[in-house]
Amino acid sequence: MATQPIAIPAELVAAPLAREQVGLWTDAWRRLRRNRLALVATVYLTLLVLVALVAIVHTPYSTSHQGVAPTYAPPSSAHPLGADASGRDILSRLMVGAQISLVVGLMTQAVVLAVGVPLGLIAGYFRGWIDTVLSFMISVFYGIPDILVAMILIVILGKPGLDKIIIAIAATRWMDMARLTRGQTLSLREREFIEASRASGARTAKILFGHLLPNALGPIIVQVTLGIPAAILFEAFLSFLGIGVPPPTPSWGSMAAEGIHSMRIAPHIVLAPAIALSLTLMAFNFLGDGLRDALDPRQKR
Amino acid sequence: MTGTLAYVGQRTLLIAFTALAVSSIVFIGIHQLPGDAFVSERLRPSQQAALLHQFGLDRPLLVQYRDFISNLVLRGDLGESIQSRGTKITPLVLREATVSAEVGGAALVFTIGLGLMFGVFGAMRQNSWIDYLLTTLSVVGYSMPSFVIATFLLLVFGIWLENLTGGSFFYGIGWTGTYGNLAEISVPAFALGFPYASFVARLTRASMLEIIRQDYIRTARAKGLVEQIVIIRHALRNALIPVITILGPLVIGIITGSVVIENIFGIPGLGKEFVTSILNRDYNITVGVFTGYAALIGLANLAVDLLYPVLDPRIRY
Repeated sequence: MATQPIAIPAELVAAPLAREQVGLWTDAWRRLRRNRLALVATVYLTLLVLVALVAIVHTPYSTSHQGVAPTYAPPSSAHPLGADASGRDILSRLMVGAQISLVVGLMTQAVVLAVGVPLGLIAGYFRGWIDTVLSFMISVFYGIPDILVAMILIVILGKPGLDKIIIAIAATRWMDMARLTRGQTLSLREREFIEASRASGARTAKILFGHLLPNALGPIIVQVTLGIPAAILFEAFLSFLGIGVPPPTPSWGSMAAEGIHSMRIAPHIVLAPAIALSLTLMAFNFLGDGLRDALDPRQKR
Repeated sequence: MTGTLAYVGQRTLLIAFTALAVSSIVFIGIHQLPGDAFVSERLRPSQQAALLHQFGLDRPLLVQYRDFISNLVLRGDLGESIQSRGTKITPLVLREATVSAEVGGAALVFTIGLGLMFGVFGAMRQNSWIDYLLTTLSVVGYSMPSFVIATFLLLVFGIWLENLTGGSFFYGIGWTGTYGNLAEISVPAFALGFPYASFVARLTRASMLEIIRQDYIRTARAKGLVEQIVIIRHALRNALIPVITILGPLVIGIITGSVVIENIFGIPGLGKEFVTSILNRDYNITVGVFTGYAALIGLANLAVDLLYPVLDPRIRY
């Protein structure tokens, strides 16, 4: 039986033989672009950052001056989100609150990166007693509710302020990063390219930060993106309980706490920060999920 | 049986040691700032010194610590409140721990019950509109902080429901007596459990989807069993295993969340006392509540571990 000649489509004939070579980051960006939820989240977060930046130089009204509007004023054209129990403009306070949230989220992750990544790299690369000690510390920290640790730390550190809050939150979050980096390092250190660089006489620091770290970067970025909302939520919790950012600096958490008291007569006071907080947390979570899918397509949730 | 008893004894000892270690760290940390306890009272220096002396806060830290530990170990005595003088802390913490355990237990029932129900429903009707609805709801639930959920619940049950029924039926903040009643517990327990219920639902849905495609489920159906029995007795039992593995972190999460929820709903538990004591700088209570928390978490984890062999007969101690 004679084989039928197979008709080759014209576009395949013209196409190059190999798939176009793209780097990890270009590839990840392409995959992320296809994730509509992550894109919407990125747009929202970009706007939020812009609002926070604008709030540095300009807010519609002063955030600490009382009585710029009638107390409990409902939303109006002069005050789009109304005014709170002291007659302060809620939109202005929300804008500065965005600043606080973002600063806490980003700075906490910066501290977590600075502490967790080196610890994880060293423990995973050298193993032995360093690894045993680190793993023990991680398991101890996981056993105690983080909010209690943070609250005690704020008490011990004395006078509350943004820096204390960042330290306290980072102290309850560093082990996520250390554990992740350690795990990545444990599997990467057995790969040939690490052996090759060791054989060619590279210094340990060069191996750790020049070879291991760049290859573990994907999961670390995802962890940071998911760590930011966790830190923001944490700050909101603390401020809500009255142990966070000291007044009159507006934080979404303390704004919600103030609003709870007057929920009966003016629900908009509590709803504005609560909705802003929920949207922001959701956006970071969607972006984090999207990044995870984009950076590591093999891993399924 | 004796194996289990020995295991429980061993674990209880470990819990006691952990609680002791945790309270030691907190005690020493907090007593770095002895004068702070009376800052809000605006006392003259001589009066403050007298008060510090009365509570033994002017002695060397190590002496204070030695007394604290020996009182705690020998008599289970956590000392006295600094602010409301004469109040013993041990009975206070014990009572509040049972209140917190009550709310946490109710939240756990909501978490597991709702989570399993949503998860199984979603898996049974995979890719239907109800599945999409439940999946979306669980993402939303997981992203919403518990105090936001609590706020919405208060708005709905406390205010809109009151307006709707002309003030005859609504949910108020705070509750009657020490332990409240069933209606009063349900709303905070729901707020506390909902975020974790979404998590359980996601997990259950995924593991159910995997299991209902297995051969033994087909066998069960082929035997002619009713669908409900296949799902509940055969599929769900095995789908439970991943859910069981997250019970430990779940319990810790619920205890963490209870700090906020108790403060919103005015529940007289450990979480409310903890925040109040920090705001009042009543550090003796802070140390006591922390010790109570360490014990509560240890006991909750022990209960979870004892549950494993009941649900999964392959595990034995």
